[in-house]
Amino acid sequence: MGRRSRDLSLLLVLLSLLLGLAGCDNNPNAAPWQAKHADGSPWVVSYRAFPEDPRTLDPQVAYDELSHAIIYLVYDTFLTYNPLKTDYELQPDLASELPVMETQPDGSLDYLCKIKPGTYFIDDPCFPDGKGRELTSADFYYTWQRMADPKTECPIVSNFSDFVKGLDESMAAAAKAGHFDYSAPFGAITVVDRYTFRINLKKPYPQLKYWLAFPFTTPVAREAVDYYDGKEHDGVVRDRFRVHPVGTGAFKLAEFKSQHFIRLVRNDRYNSLKFPTGGWDPAQEKALRPYAGHSLPIVDEIQYNIIREIIPSWVLFKQGWLDATTLTKDTFSAAMDANHQLNPDYQKRGMKVVKNVELMTWYFMFNMRDPVLGKNAKLRQAMSTVFDTQKENEIFYNGLYVMAQQFLPPGLFGYDPNFVNPYRQTSVEKAKQLLAEAGYPNGIDPKTGRPLQITLDVQAGSGTERQAAEYEQSQFEQLGIRIKIQENLFSAMLEKQLRGNFQFVLAGWSADYPDPENYFNLLYSKSIPPDGYNESFYSNPEYDKLFEQMSTMENSPQRLAIIQQMNQIITDQCVIAPLYNQVTLGLLQPWTQRVVVNGYVSLFGGPRYSVLNDELRNQERAKLNAKNYWPLIIGGILLAIVVGVGIRIGRKRDA
Amino acid sequence: MLNYVIRRLFYMVPIIFCVMVITFFLFFGLVNVETMARTQLPPRASQAAIENWLHQRHYDKPLYLNMPGVQRYQAGQPFYDSLFFANIYDLATFNFGDSLATNRHIVTMFKEGAIPSLLVTAPAFFLSLVLAVSFSLFLVYVRASKLDAVGTIFCVMLMSIPVIVYVIICQWVLGNLLRYFPAYGFSLHGFDAARFLALPIAVLILNELGSDTRLYRAIFLEEVRADYVRTASAKGLSPQVALFKHVLKNGMINIITLTVAALPTLILGTLVLEDFFGIPGLGSLSLTSIRTTDYTVVRAVTYAGSLLYLLGLLLTDICYALVDPRIKLK
Amino acid sequence: MNLPYWIQDLLVALALGVAFLLLWLAGKSDRYERQRRRFLRDKVGLVSLFVVTLFLAICAADLLLLPQYNNDGFHLSLLDWCFQKVPQETSYSAPLAWVDAKGAPLNGRHLLGTDALGSDVLLETLKACRTALLIGSLTSLIYIPIGVLLGIIAGYFRGWVDDLIQFVYSTVASIPVILLLVSILVVIGKGIPQITLALGLTSWIGLCRLLRGESMRQAGRQYCEAARALGQGSWKIITRHLLPNMMHLVVINFVLGFSGIVLTESILSYIGVGVPIGTASWGIMIDSARTELNREPSVWWNLAAASSALFLLVLALNLLGDALRKAFDPKAA
Repeated sequence: MGRRSRDLSLLLVLLSLLLGLAGCDNNPNAAPWQAKHADGSPWVVSYRAFPEDPRTLDPQVAYDELSHAIIYLVYDTFLTYNPLKTDYELQPDLASELPVMETQPDGSLDYLCKIKPGTYFIDDPCFPDGKGRELTSADFYYTWQRMADPKTECPIVSNFSDFVKGLDESMAAAAKAGHFDYSAPFGAITVVDRYTFRINLKKPYPQLKYWLAFPFTTPVAREAVDYYDGKEHDGVVRDRFRVHPVGTGAFKLAEFKSQHFIRLVRNDRYNSLKFPTGGWDPAQEKALRPYAGHSLPIVDEIQYNIIREIIPSWVLFKQGWLDATTLTKDTFSAAMDANHQLNPDYQKRGMKVVKNVELMTWYFMFNMRDPVLGKNAKLRQAMSTVFDTQKENEIFYNGLYVMAQQFLPPGLFGYDPNFVNPYRQTSVEKAKQLLAEAGYPNGIDPKTGRPLQITLDVQAGSGTERQAAEYEQSQFEQLGIRIKIQENLFSAMLEKQLRGNFQFVLAGWSADYPDPENYFNLLYSKSIPPDGYNESFYSNPEYDKLFEQMSTMENSPQRLAIIQQMNQIITDQCVIAPLYNQVTLGLLQPWTQRVVVNGYVSLFGGPRYSVLNDELRNQERAKLNAKNYWPLIIGGILLAIVVGVGIRIGRKRDA
Repeated sequence: MLNYVIRRLFYMVPIIFCVMVITFFLFFGLVNVETMARTQLPPRASQAAIENWLHQRHYDKPLYLNMPGVQRYQAGQPFYDSLFFANIYDLATFNFGDSLATNRHIVTMFKEGAIPSLLVTAPAFFLSLVLAVSFSLFLVYVRASKLDAVGTIFCVMLMSIPVIVYVIICQWVLGNLLRYFPAYGFSLHGFDAARFLALPIAVLILNELGSDTRLYRAIFLEEVRADYVRTASAKGLSPQVALFKHVLKNGMINIITLTVAALPTLILGTLVLEDFFGIPGLGSLSLTSIRTTDYTVVRAVTYAGSLLYLLGLLLTDICYALVDPRIKLK
Repeated sequence: MNLPYWIQDLLVALALGVAFLLLWLAGKSDRYERQRRRFLRDKVGLVSLFVVTLFLAICAADLLLLPQYNNDGFHLSLLDWCFQKVPQETSYSAPLAWVDAKGAPLNGRHLLGTDALGSDVLLETLKACRTALLIGSLTSLIYIPIGVLLGIIAGYFRGWVDDLIQFVYSTVASIPVILLLVSILVVIGKGIPQITLALGLTSWIGLCRLLRGESMRQAGRQYCEAARALGQGSWKIITRHLLPNMMHLVVINFVLGFSGIVLTESILSYIGVGVPIGTASWGIMIDSARTELNREPSVWWNLAAASSALFLLVLALNLLGDALRKAFDPKAA
């Protein structure tokens, strides 16, 4: 090969590489399920991010937020919460009306439940002719049986068995026989007719209504459970039921690629819920009124990109490839200004901020059985008083979190916005005084002559968690005591908390359902592990008596009085030190419309109501992703120069 | 040769057995089975749910031997009805079971994860080889000049940057600032996949370029100084022909012998890169399973990793023998 | 540990003294005269040796404790004392800036800015030297004796000893390091000793294989045959002849391996099995950079400081290793 032809071929290779790169596009999303509707109208896709794989899509098994986020979209629950109200008002979903508690002539209690006729499961090969059949009471009967079946591994069936008849007996029979007999009589549910059934109770259980809005009680089709067994039939291995939902929800699961993405496509037969006809925020009236009364879902498809890291998620959002995102500690400053308002640039573009105060309280949990912390109320009070939560809020949570004075979070019955917890008014002097009264003047343990050492167990985690732990340590050490930080892996942490092998930890409790009993149960002596989650190991007969009284009461002034008494006991003894209630901030693109106001619904089932402006999105995306090829060209020229110099040197030497 | 290979394959068995025993110990010997159950079940699961979970997976057996006095002893069952022996039996029959965290069939997970991993590691391997060989040949061409010295120091600099910094910079510059490639994500639809693979492949290549180039440069230099090259050029052979025909070919033999050990483990992917760029491959599977203490997946990954690593060693030895007739494999 | 502070100072001085003594003896010895002369002529090698010594000095400065206490009740180190005048801020601030990220005025000037909690980044970077060098040296202290011993024995004795050692290292190499680290974490928690244990137990394989190959080659050479003919015992042959001839390989492996260990520590922090909370480490600084780069304004100084320091140390070590190799075998340059 001649020298010149070799140089030319090198140049050609470089050019073709450059051209190839020019054809590159940084769109990370997959192509839509279909390009248009059959009638030519546009097919609208909503693109969102998901932090990891959902663990399971089996409603009777799933108990984590991520799984529930998908389950609510493919399975509807019996009841739901009003999406336009911030309080937790129950509404019928699969039900035709709210269930009513009845007392039968023989004294037995039950809930009478009625189903809406005309609700169908999606079409799926598991049904005899591939067509989804109608939902009936028999499906609810089967579902409750399924919960009692040990093979299903339903995590909370033992909670129900305290209140619902028949579960204990069926579970015991199944354990003895080695399998669950679905044809045996089942005492928990009585089928009255095709669309009516009763849930039989042992004693009053007002919280059952909330569980009916939760996926555990969602009906599933027996055909689907039996068909999708994960085994091989006729040479084809079928999916497992936990990744192949067959439900009555607004969407169908079209694709689920593990660690990659989830695709949900509209269910054309869905008719359980409709777009609200009123009650929305006046500011959104204009945008939402055109959809009043429309059948759901409004968008045709949702693509969830599974993005484990926060930053790529933010980068993709900025480039317009995602329709919404959550603001975290580091991305907060990019979108909000110093006054916690959306910065003017984003406001001009039309982005919207959504603030959601969660039903969650973070608190320091003291081990009441610990010889040092458990017996010494003044010590706990001192630690509670010295900790500056506001400052921590500023540093780590951008000042967003709501300061907590009590155990209950805002939104629950019994929450008192005017309650002042004397040990949560930060004061270093007062804390030092309390510490002296506790028997540790200036933090020195009189028995050893050295500073008192207390261990804070934390979960080994990311940068932010590390920094937060260091902050907490420095706060308590203002008292003169020594805090030792013990890092633990998740599994080790769980074990320590359950066995009480800790002195104090930072704990958070998110409500299972919007009833205060869920929080107060955490300090009930009968909930001490392994029977429950009283990881404070708190045992107070007076508190227990009050708890037993209020746990099954309906909301009333008498219940409020008992709750206030319990709150006072917790506060006086400083059993826990409430810190803050978690607030999440979401950021919506200019083309994403805010619809749902209720925090719970926006996480669970909210995407059913999503409204998007597709045209605006396409315009913005093109603007945000214009490419700049100069660095590539300059790089190519530099490379050619270096190669040329090298060739010249080599030739000179060989000449 | 065949005898040697068969014997080496047999030697692998005790090694893999040992590795599996150690892995078993690292999980069950150090952590209580109940804690394992609690890690996998949702945090609010009841005690009954935990026992049920253990029972469904046959983890409620004694740990090593089923004898009186041992925890969870079951009278009426043979002494070998223990978790340890059940584990050995599973591995001997290649029954990897289901993931503890997601309950998916592990063999399916492996099959699904292998392709994305290979899509990153295989092109990176070959491209890296081509680039490193070209770069090192270039340096040999300009040997003993200032350009060579600069080039070598440049290689050392490339070697001195941690892979995480490469990842952060590549993603920020190419994905975020210049927007040539998607910052994150993956696709399996034909050529579309190339866009997503560009960044992780670039990082892999950059990470190894420095050390590979120096190594290959050393090998090629050794060839260039060999007697036969001097003889050839004394006989009038032009330097370029010498470089490309003789030095390259002979050097490649040595290089391939060195790099062939990495071939079997390509399928396992790279842990950090897959995690960072969102490639749903076996590397991120390994990392996730260790983080979530998903014993069955870790067991399968370690098993596969061990097997592939040993195969790589075997391949290297065979290559050495093929290349150098002085080495006799016995 | 509640030992008086000057015991740590004594230990540090002792360790440094021993290290310098060994180097001085090696330099003086006749065996290495030619190599020493070659090395002293190599400018790049000398500069990198100087840089490495500088890092060592910074590490020592952080290990030497002074009688004074700081706010947390720990002894000040020499490094802390040098930085006494530099105040603590409350949050991020850019290098040489006058205001912090929120616009509030700063208490002092920071050459490389401050991090999320307001600590000076320059101080953090220098303190992280100590972590890196400690992990590197302690790991080397563990893996080098194991690797040298097993490698030479395997190569010299061959037979069943060789098979056994190959069995051991194949087994150990097959277990993922991360798994080992996580398991150790579960049992004894996080910490520098734990990391060095795990890394040490897995790093000896490379050295072992290298020395095994080399001793197989050397054992067949004439001087070994002569020694055997003279009736010298195997142990004497190994220590008197083989080991000194391979010492340079060990030293080069140590220097290059050190840089590898320091790089690995940064990856471990990313995965979550790195050093515990409160320990300064470049790996942790780089890990937090992942999210910090995307703040507005972008916080780049943490990443820049940590990766520059890491880069400098690793580059110096690599160039030093190269220079040593050139000194011992100029043809392979």
